[in-house]
Amino acid sequence: MKKVKTLLLLGFLLFISGSGSFAQSGKIEFKEFDLKNGLHVILHQNNSTPTVAINLMYHVGSKNEKSDRTGFAHFFEHLMFEGSENIDRGAYFKYVQNAGGNNNASTSFDVTQYYEVLPSNQLELGLWLESERMLHLRIDSTGIETQRKVVKEERKQSLENRPYGRLLPEVFSNSFKVHPYRWMPIGEAQYIDQARNSEFMDFYKHFYVPENAVLVIAGDIQIEALTIMVKKYFEDIPNGNHEIFRPKEKEPLQTSEIKVNAYDKVQLPVVLYAYHIPAMGTPDSYSLDMLQKWMAGGKSSQLYKSLVDQQQIAMQVGAIPFSLEDAGLFIAYGFANLGKKAEDLDAAINTEIEKAKASNISDSDFQKIKNQIENDFYSRNSTMQGISSTLANFYIYFKNTNLINTEIQKYQQITKEDIKRVANQYLKPENRLVLYYLPESFKK
Amino acid sequence: MKNLLYSIVVLTFTVTSIFAQVDRTKAPQAAPAPKIQIGDYTKFELANGLKVFVVENHRLPRVSYSISLIFDPETEGANTGIGSVTSELIGTGTKTRTKDQINEEVDFIAASLSANSEGIYASSLKKHTEKLLDVFADVTMNSVFKNEELEKIRTQSLSGIAANKDDPNSISANVSSALTYGKSHPYGEFETESSIKNISLDMCSQYYQKYFNPNIAYLAIVGDINPAEAKKLIEKYFGKWKKGIVKSPTYLKPQPPKFTVVAIVDRPQSVQSVINISYPVDINIGSPDFIKTRVTNTILGGGIFRLFLNLREKHAFTYGAYSNFNYDPIIGNFKASTSVRNAVTDSAVGEILYEMKRLREEPVQESELKMVKNYMMGNFALSLESPQTIASFAINTERYKLPKDFYSTYLKRIEAITPSEVQETAKKYILPDQSEILVVGKASEIAEKLKKYSKDGKLGYYDVDANPYDPSQKGKTLPVGVTAQSILKQYVEAIGGIANISKVKDLTMKGKVSVQGMALSMNIVYKFPGKYLSEIVMNGQTVQKQVLNDGKGKISGMQGAKDLLGPELEKIKMEAEIVPELKYESLGYKTELKEISQVSGKDAYMIEVTSPSKAITVDYFSVETGLKVKSITEQDSPTGKISQVTELLEFTEVNGLKFPNKMKQSAGPQTFEVSVDEIIINTDVKDEIFN
Repeated sequence: MKKVKTLLLLGFLLFISGSGSFAQSGKIEFKEFDLKNGLHVILHQNNSTPTVAINLMYHVGSKNEKSDRTGFAHFFEHLMFEGSENIDRGAYFKYVQNAGGNNNASTSFDVTQYYEVLPSNQLELGLWLESERMLHLRIDSTGIETQRKVVKEERKQSLENRPYGRLLPEVFSNSFKVHPYRWMPIGEAQYIDQARNSEFMDFYKHFYVPENAVLVIAGDIQIEALTIMVKKYFEDIPNGNHEIFRPKEKEPLQTSEIKVNAYDKVQLPVVLYAYHIPAMGTPDSYSLDMLQKWMAGGKSSQLYKSLVDQQQIAMQVGAIPFSLEDAGLFIAYGFANLGKKAEDLDAAINTEIEKAKASNISDSDFQKIKNQIENDFYSRNSTMQGISSTLANFYIYFKNTNLINTEIQKYQQITKEDIKRVANQYLKPENRLVLYYLPESFKK
Repeated sequence: MKNLLYSIVVLTFTVTSIFAQVDRTKAPQAAPAPKIQIGDYTKFELANGLKVFVVENHRLPRVSYSISLIFDPETEGANTGIGSVTSELIGTGTKTRTKDQINEEVDFIAASLSANSEGIYASSLKKHTEKLLDVFADVTMNSVFKNEELEKIRTQSLSGIAANKDDPNSISANVSSALTYGKSHPYGEFETESSIKNISLDMCSQYYQKYFNPNIAYLAIVGDINPAEAKKLIEKYFGKWKKGIVKSPTYLKPQPPKFTVVAIVDRPQSVQSVINISYPVDINIGSPDFIKTRVTNTILGGGIFRLFLNLREKHAFTYGAYSNFNYDPIIGNFKASTSVRNAVTDSAVGEILYEMKRLREEPVQESELKMVKNYMMGNFALSLESPQTIASFAINTERYKLPKDFYSTYLKRIEAITPSEVQETAKKYILPDQSEILVVGKASEIAEKLKKYSKDGKLGYYDVDANPYDPSQKGKTLPVGVTAQSILKQYVEAIGGIANISKVKDLTMKGKVSVQGMALSMNIVYKFPGKYLSEIVMNGQTVQKQVLNDGKGKISGMQGAKDLLGPELEKIKMEAEIVPELKYESLGYKTELKEISQVSGKDAYMIEVTSPSKAITVDYFSVETGLKVKSITEQDSPTGKISQVTELLEFTEVNGLKFPNKMKQSAGPQTFEVSVDEIIINTDVKDEIFN
């Protein structure tokens, strides 16, 4: 009722989790196949409650944008709700709500996903809605103008009018100089204004083709009947038959520490380190997940114990292994307690990181890490929507849907020595950005 | 023959393809509605009064335990935050466990354990459940609080409060609750710096003793566990939990305002206004109008409905707009909220009020009502996917003494609501003419246009702690963390930094002073350390000359010459510095940050400087640039003390240092304008000129 402290952390983490981390789960049965047009379909049957989740993920995100059209993929996501040849403007929401369902969409650096959660007797409606906008989206200038304004308000709400709103944009723009990860999915407002209406259709025709998407349906379904129904709605959608644009830029190796001060109307300084790490799914990325748990997993972790509890220099600390399709960042951060200096917090975080690199993981700590990994693996995917999203991710990124059942083995192969090695290999000053996010009154 | 065969092939082909053809022009029909089954639960009660509800669900190998403490909270007043600080203390030690032991045990099994002021929650994988219960029961029953931990939590809470002062949504939530319920109601209170500072260990221990009791606790157990197993475990771990006595306080029922009022929290950096329209409503889940108000609200703003469609899809004011009723046995509320760009703030308030009125004045169309009902019924079904929903149904049924079939008939009762019932409900519960309209935003751009929504045409200004103030009287709230020292330090940096300042060995400044149409020339020379000369000349004749040399000050002019002593000497010594602020500390000047006020329409920090001889100067530093923009000193004059006001304008840079090119001075009725023509640095000024 009167909690103040948690708000900040939540806001920060929610923002981060918006972009493509993936979950694991226990044994999940599924059937998968390709339609003739290249659309990949994954079906998971679970009849325990009369609910069904439809998840259509397109392999396009902000990294597929041109540098003078940042924010385009996310903006386009809004246009996908505008209507189709057979769906009037504004009717999309109505169909879903009238069916008793919920729907939404999100855009990350790498993918854009659309979902509907419906009572299972409305499954066919969901297929019709998604196939309509894949086959023949219709957008008009009224819709484009409206969404231009709406997205600007979204941007203000999530970034400009919110303390620490520019924290992540600072991280990505300073960590990436060449790769399109240097801009955030929300992009810069002016580019959408500059875009001609025809560009939106060009984008649609290029990226929103069946062979660049995966359709996942999970829940109260009958696999055989649904297979026929999926074909009915999706098989006739023509494929693009062209190579999909993927960014070729390779981020050059960072060779010296980058230090940046950013200022905002905030009260507490934040010190944040962002280290370059390999892309998701690489063996080292699993080791880095475990490193994160060791350093910052819970109140017994060294980072929390030292900075928040013993030294009381930080109000909050955390570490996030932020893995994306082409590259990743290992982020460690602290919010300074009132009156504490960024420089001192910086030194304290650095000390803990150096300590972690130098120490050997005890057997009991290693077991703790493994327990935490196991807990995550068996606890996620509690909803059909969650499962459908996980299946879609594993297919899009790795073309290996069954990772939903086997990913834990990747962690089981990691040794204590691997964790120590990645700590020393990646958590090096020359490989990092040191960001001070400071109150504006500190500005020189 | 051949042709016939061909026709058959074609025919067959065509038939198949017609069969597979989709009629895309219409939405497909729904299949028959699935049967909605609300999952089962088991309940039992321990001898100590602990009520337990078990929802068995084996989808995941996990079990969660959630204790809700059901009591009527007391007003905490000047100590607001006792409950939340107590909840933070839980987990920092018990009679037999240290904090480190608790944290290590919980993290080792990858469990979560957390408390709030009205409950405590824990969960883990099934295989660790007994280990978890061991710690969970211990912190619930046997916590021991220490001062050292209280101080840590206090520091954290103060940091959190400081951080939230910049968050428009936190400000809106706090101030809105104070306006809706009143600050003397427990729901209208929120933590402030001073209330957190007031909280003692005793208060927290008493809170814990008083409310963490089995006889007011509802424990929901959800997951991979059967009732028999649960019963055995709970008897074992919570059987010894001792009963307590909890008395209910009485409150005055908060009432909606007599007429709509508009309140504003000025947040000058806002590029978006956070709008919140609310009032208290006496309604809870057990109230006869519960379902009617839910349907009525859903039409208005309980999804992608009227508010969203109007404010976002039609007007593009916002990313989203919603409303809801909060149901509570003490007092609930209605709230409609959105965030919109500054320029359309008043229009957005107008549209929300319009939609509220429309619901009262026009009966809802059958088709729209049907859609809303479908949406609600479908979402009810979807919510059953989560076993936690079943647990909350069980607890609500018990707590509000709901009829046994309350949830099983829920859908039927939604279905039965008519348009006229919606309109009646709206007239009773949707109160556009009795609302608190709160806007957190940039007052200078939005305030004037909001007045029209206030019945009396007035705006109530509030600070972030929900204290009212008169904007014409009071300065702005100072940001936390900004001090006189930090502002002076920033000033030094703003004018060029210590490195550049220390490079200056001497400085000569030439300019003009105009007084009532007369032009005088001015010549000021500094040589560091400690030499200073200022001369004002009219028509070749020195009107006034001041010199400081070897610690001695002199003033001479047409009236003769005298030595400067006491406060006058103190003053010229400071004038002999380019940046006197750098000497404050070593010379014993005291500085105090007073407020943010305005200088020429821009925000400036006001700092009061008291010299060792108690002479007071008030300096203003621009919030935006950090530069000193105004200074007020007290001067002795034949008519007593008068204040001399100097405004510093048009800064230019010389050798990396910023100097004002113009100064406007006024002292009593007189005004001067000083304009600087030339500043030259390090010209090897001779010592003799200061003799």
